[in-house]
Amino acid sequence: MLEVRHLTKIYDDGTVALRDVNFIVPDGEFLVIIGLSGSGKSTLLRCINRLIDPTEGEIIWDGVDLAKLEGTELRMARRKIGMVFQHFNLVRRSSVITNVLAGRLGYTSSWQSLFGRFSDEDNAKAQHALERLGIEDQAHKRADELSGGQQQRVGVARALMQEPKMILADEPVASLDPVLAHSILQHLELLNQEDKITILCSLHYLDLVQRYATSVFGLRDGEIVYRGTREEIRGMNDEEFKEIYGQEAERVGGGLQGDLLTANGGGA
Amino acid sequence: MRLSHTPTSSEDLKPSLVPPFLAAILSLIIPGLGQILARTIRRGLLLLFSFATIIGLLAWRFTETARRDTGLINIVRKGLSLEPALVVLSILVIVFYIWNVVDAYAIANRSGSNPAGLLFLVIIIFFMLGWQIGQIDVVALITQADDAGPFLSSVLWPWEKSIEYPKDIVTTTAQIQIPCTENPPAPSGALEDAPYLLADPTCGTLAEFEGAPGSTVTLTGHNFIPNTIANIWWEDPIGNEFRQRQGGEYIKITPDERGAFQIDIELPYRLVPANIRDDTTIWEIQIRQVASIGDWQFSTELKLAIEKIIETIFIGMMATFFGILLALPVSFFAARNLMSASPITLGIYFVTRTILNIIRSIEPLIWAIIFVVIVGLGPFAGIMALTVHSIAALGKLYSESIESIDPGPIEAIQATGANWLQVVVYAVIPQIIPPFVSFTIYRWDINIRMSTIIGFVGGGGIGFLLSQWIRLLDYKAAGIAVWFIAITVAILDFVSAEVRQRFV
Ligand SMILES: Nc1ncnc2c1ncn2[C@@H]1O[C@H](COP(=O)(O)OP(=O)(O)OP(=O)(O)O)[C@@H](O)[C@H]1O
Ligand SMILES: [Mg+2]
Repeated sequence: MLEVRHLTKIYDDGTVALRDVNFIVPDGEFLVIIGLSGSGKSTLLRCINRLIDPTEGEIIWDGVDLAKLEGTELRMARRKIGMVFQHFNLVRRSSVITNVLAGRLGYTSSWQSLFGRFSDEDNAKAQHALERLGIEDQAHKRADELSGGQQQRVGVARALMQEPKMILADEPVASLDPVLAHSILQHLELLNQEDKITILCSLHYLDLVQRYATSVFGLRDGEIVYRGTREEIRGMNDEEFKEIYGQEAERVGGGLQGDLLTANGGGA
Repeated sequence: MRLSHTPTSSEDLKPSLVPPFLAAILSLIIPGLGQILARTIRRGLLLLFSFATIIGLLAWRFTETARRDTGLINIVRKGLSLEPALVVLSILVIVFYIWNVVDAYAIANRSGSNPAGLLFLVIIIFFMLGWQIGQIDVVALITQADDAGPFLSSVLWPWEKSIEYPKDIVTTTAQIQIPCTENPPAPSGALEDAPYLLADPTCGTLAEFEGAPGSTVTLTGHNFIPNTIANIWWEDPIGNEFRQRQGGEYIKITPDERGAFQIDIELPYRLVPANIRDDTTIWEIQIRQVASIGDWQFSTELKLAIEKIIETIFIGMMATFFGILLALPVSFFAARNLMSASPITLGIYFVTRTILNIIRSIEPLIWAIIFVVIVGLGPFAGIMALTVHSIAALGKLYSESIESIDPGPIEAIQATGANWLQVVVYAVIPQIIPPFVSFTIYRWDINIRMSTIIGFVGGGGIGFLLSQWIRLLDYKAAGIAVWFIAITVAILDFVSAEVRQRFV
C-alpha cells in the first residue's frame, strides 16, 4: 500500500508544483492521474521514486517513508518501483537487450555491471520480458532503430526486469498513436492483473482513462481536485471530464479493438 | 508599447535636456557631451570613448614618428612631413570632430541624424591607425619579394641535400731534396689511373727569410679530379705539415677538365732545427684534393630529419594519450549536470572548471618553455607541454559533451536503483562516445601540428632542427624539415578523416 501524506513540492524557483497532496493507493490498483499540463502529474510521480526530492510530506510504502531514504536504502527501494517515461528514455546507442538488462542494475554489483556481465538468470529474464512484450526479434538492434511503440515496449520490459511491486508511468502513451497507446496500456494492464503490480499512470485521453483505470485522481495546480472510482469514471461524459480536466481533454478515438490484435504483437 | 520600442527609440521620445545650439557647443568642448545631454547617452559615450582613443593613438603615432623632437608644434610638423598617412589621419579626425558637433545639434534638435556615417568614419580612422601601427608596407612586400627567391627555391626543392657522397682527401706526393746534391731523387713515374705528381727539378733551396723567394720548382700533375680545387701542402723532414704560400696567400690549383695542371712554386722559408739545416734532407710536397669516394648515401640532414619527425609524431601521440587519460576523469568533475547534486560537488565543479580555463588560456609554447625549465630541453618537455594543454582543452570539450547529453536515460537508469557508477557506465558513457571520439581525433590532429613547432622553444621534435637550420641559413636542410612536416600533416589529415568516418 502506498500512502502519501501532506506531500508538497516547491521548486527552487518558487513554483509550487504540489500542495499538500494526500492519497492512498491500495496494492493492485491501476491508478490514473489526470490533469492539465503543468498541474503537477510528473512532479508527483517523480517524488514517489525520488527522482525529485519532495519539499515536505511523507510517502509511506509498505511501512517505509520513501521521502526520508538516502543512499543505498533509497536504491534498494527504487529497485521495486519501475518507471515508464513519455519519451521512453532508452539509451539510444545501446542495444535493446542492454537497455532491458539495465533494469537489473539495482540487483547487480558495480563490478559486474562495469563489464556488462549479468547472471544467466538475468539474461533469461530479459529474454522472457522481451517475449512477453513481443519484441524478442529486436533484441540486438540499437534502441534508436526501433519504432516509437517498440521503444516504449522496451521501456516497459526494462521496468518489468526490476520485478517491481509498483510501476510509475508518466504519460507513457503521449508520444504514440492511438493504436500503439492501447497496445502499451494493455501490457501495463496485464502486468497489473497477472503480476499484481500496482500502476500509477498519468494519462490525457478520456477513453483511455475509462478503459484502463481502476481509480482516478484529478490534479489541478498541484492539488487533488477530483477522486473517482472505476464506476464513476466509466459513467462520466465528456462535459464532466472537461470540467475537472480542462478544455484540452480529448478522446483518442474509439473502436480500435480490432486493430489492436495486430498492433499488439505476440505479447498478450 | 513596452515590446515595440527599443530603449534607444524611447530615448528619442523625451525632449533633449539642452537646446540644439548648446548641445553643439558642448560637443565642441568635449566630443559626445552634447549627445549625452540630449539623452542619447549611449551614442554620446561611444563618441567620447572613440574620440579619446583615437586622439591618444594619434598622439602616440606622432611622437613615435618624430622621436627626437620636442614641443607640440615641432612634433606635429615633423610627423606630418614624414608620414603622409598621418596627414590623412589628421584630416579624418578633424572631419570626425566637426561631424560630432553637427550630430549633437541634429540630435538635440530631434531632427534625426543617422549614426551610420559617423560610425563608418570611426571605422576608417581605426583602420588607418591599424595600418600605421602594424607598419604595413605593401611596397616592401612587392619590391622585396624576389629576395625570398633563393630561399624559397631551396625550401621548395631541397632534395639535393638528401643524399651525399662520402668524401675523402686524396693526397698525391712528390719528393724534393734540400739542398741540391749531385744525385737528386728520381721523379716518380707516370701512373695509369691514379693521380701522380712530377716535380722539376726534384731539389732546391729554401728561402733565406720570410718573403724572400726560394728556388723554383715546376709541378706537373695528371689524373687529378677535374675542375676541383686542390691545395698544396708541405711536410718537412721532422713531420710538420704546412701550406704553400706565395705572395702571402695560400695557393690553390684547379686541374683542367682532363685532370691535369702545371704550376711553378717557390720553395718556402722555414725555420728548422740546426741539425737538419745543415744536412741534406728530403721534403715532401703534397697535392691534397677532396674527392668523393664510393656510392651516394643519405645525407646526415635527411637522417636527422627522419629521426626527428618520428620523435615529433610520438610527442604528439604520447601527449594525446596522456591527455585523454587524464582528461577523462577530470571531465566528469567539470560537468555541471553530474556535479550539481550537492553544494560540495558543485564547488568541485567550479574549481575544476576554473583551473581548466586557466591552463587552457596559456599557449602550449609557453607551457613548453615552462617545462624546458623543469625537465630540460628535449621531447619530454614537449610531451608535458602538450599533455597539460590537452588535458585542459579535452577536459572542457568532454565535459561540455557530457553536459549536453540527454538526461532522460540517466533518470531512467537511476530509477532502476542503479548506483552512481552504474549510471555513468550505462547512461552517460554510451551517449558521450561519439563526441569523445571526434574531439579526441581533433586534439590528436592539433597535438601533432603543435609538436612540429614545439621544438622552436626546445621541446624536442623536428621544430628544433628547423629552427637550428634556419638560424644557420641552411635553407636546403630547413626545406627537408618543412617537407617532412607537410607530409606528416597531410597523412595525419587523411588518417583522422578516415577514423572519424568510421567511428562517428
Ligand atoms: N525543474 C523544475 N524547476 C522549476 N519548476 C518546475 C520544474 N519542473 C516542473 N516545474 C513546474 O512545476 C509545475 C508542475 O510541473 P509538472 O511537470 O509536474 O507538470 P505536469 O502535470 O507533468 O505537466 P505536463 O502534462 O506538461 O507534463 C509546472 O508549473 C512546471 O512549470
Ligand atoms: Mg509531465
